[in-house]
Amino acid sequence: MSNSKLYKGSLNTIILKLLNEHDKMYGYEITQKVKALTKGELKITEGALYPALHKLEAEGLLDVEVAKVDNRLRKYYKLTETGTKETVTKLEELAEYIKTMQALVNPKLA
Amino acid sequence: MNLTKQEIQFIDNYLIKNEVKFWDVRIELLDHIVSAVEDKMTNDGISFNEALLDVHRSFGNQFIEFGVSKDKIFEKGLYQSNAGFKKFIRNKQKEIGRKHRKAYWKTFVPFITSIRFFVELLLLAIVTFVAYQYSIKAGLFAIMSGIFISEFTKLFYGGLKKFKSKSLNIQSAVASSLLLTQLPYWLIMLFNWNFENAEVKPYYILFCLFALLFVFSRHSVNNFIKIYNTYNERYKLLIS
Repeated sequence: MSNSKLYKGSLNTIILKLLNEHDKMYGYEITQKVKALTKGELKITEGALYPALHKLEAEGLLDVEVAKVDNRLRKYYKLTETGTKETVTKLEELAEYIKTMQALVNPKLA
Repeated sequence: MNLTKQEIQFIDNYLIKNEVKFWDVRIELLDHIVSAVEDKMTNDGISFNEALLDVHRSFGNQFIEFGVSKDKIFEKGLYQSNAGFKKFIRNKQKEIGRKHRKAYWKTFVPFITSIRFFVELLLLAIVTFVAYQYSIKAGLFAIMSGIFISEFTKLFYGGLKKFKSKSLNIQSAVASSLLLTQLPYWLIMLFNWNFENAEVKPYYILFCLFALLFVFSRHSVNNFIKIYNTYNERYKLLIS
C-alpha cells in the first residue's frame, strides 16, 4: 500500500469485503477495484496483496477457481462458507475499531 | 489493448528466466503482469517495454538505473534483480504448507475411523502376523512395506512427469515422503542402540511405532491424491 501503514492491518478485511460483494475476483481485479473505490487514495501493492490472498486461502477462508482467459490461466478467488462468516466478524471488528478511534480522535462526532 | 500471443510468451519466458520455475506459481504472476501491462499501455499510453519494467518493479524487484545506458535499460532492468519474485515464491510455499497441513488434520479422524482404513489395517496386521511366524525380521519387513507402499506411491506419482515435479503444490505434498521413508531405518537404529545389551529385545515397541507411522503415512496418500488430481486438471487446462 502506497499511502499509509494504517491500512495494512485492514487488508484482509478489505479483501473479504470485496469478495463478499462479488462472486469471484482475480488478483489484479482486486487492486483495481480498491483503487477505483477509494479514488486512487489506497493502492494495494502486489507485495501485500498476494501474501494476504495466499494466507486467507491457507486458512480456508478463500477457495480458488481456475479458468482459461485470453490464452492464459486466471485464478479467481471466492469466499468459502467459513470465509463468509469470518467476513461478518471482521467487518464488525473494523466498525468497532473505527468507532473507538473516532472517540479518541474526535470525541464530538463519536 | 490486448497483448499478442508473442508478448504473453515473452512475459512467460521472462518469468522463467527470473527463476519462477513452478508453473502453478507462474500462472498467477503471468495473469497479473499481463493485465497490468495491458492496463498501463491503454490508460497511461506507455510502451510494452516501459509498462513491463514498471510492473517488474512493483513486485519488489529493484533496479538501479545508474550506469546503465538508455538502450539497455529494458533488458538489464528485467533481469537485474528477482528478489520480489523470490519472496513471492517463499511466501507461497509457506502458505501451501499450511494449507496442506490444515487439510491433512481436518480429514484425519474421518479417515482413520472409516471402514476402508480399518480393512487395510486389518490386512496389514494379518500379513505382518503371518510373516512374524517365520521370523521377526520378516514381520518387521511386512509392516514396513505398508509405509513404503504409501510413500513410494506419492514419490512415484509426484515425480512421474515433468509437470508434476515443476508444480510447487505437488512438490510440497511429496516433501514429507523423503523423511517418512527414512524414519523406519532411524527407528530401527535407535531401537538397536537402546536395547543393545538386552537379553530379550522388546520388538513389540517397533511394531507399535511402525503401525503408528503407517496410519499417518497412509492418510497422507489420500491428501496427496486430492492435490494431484486438482493440479492435474489445471495443467490439462493450461496446455489445452
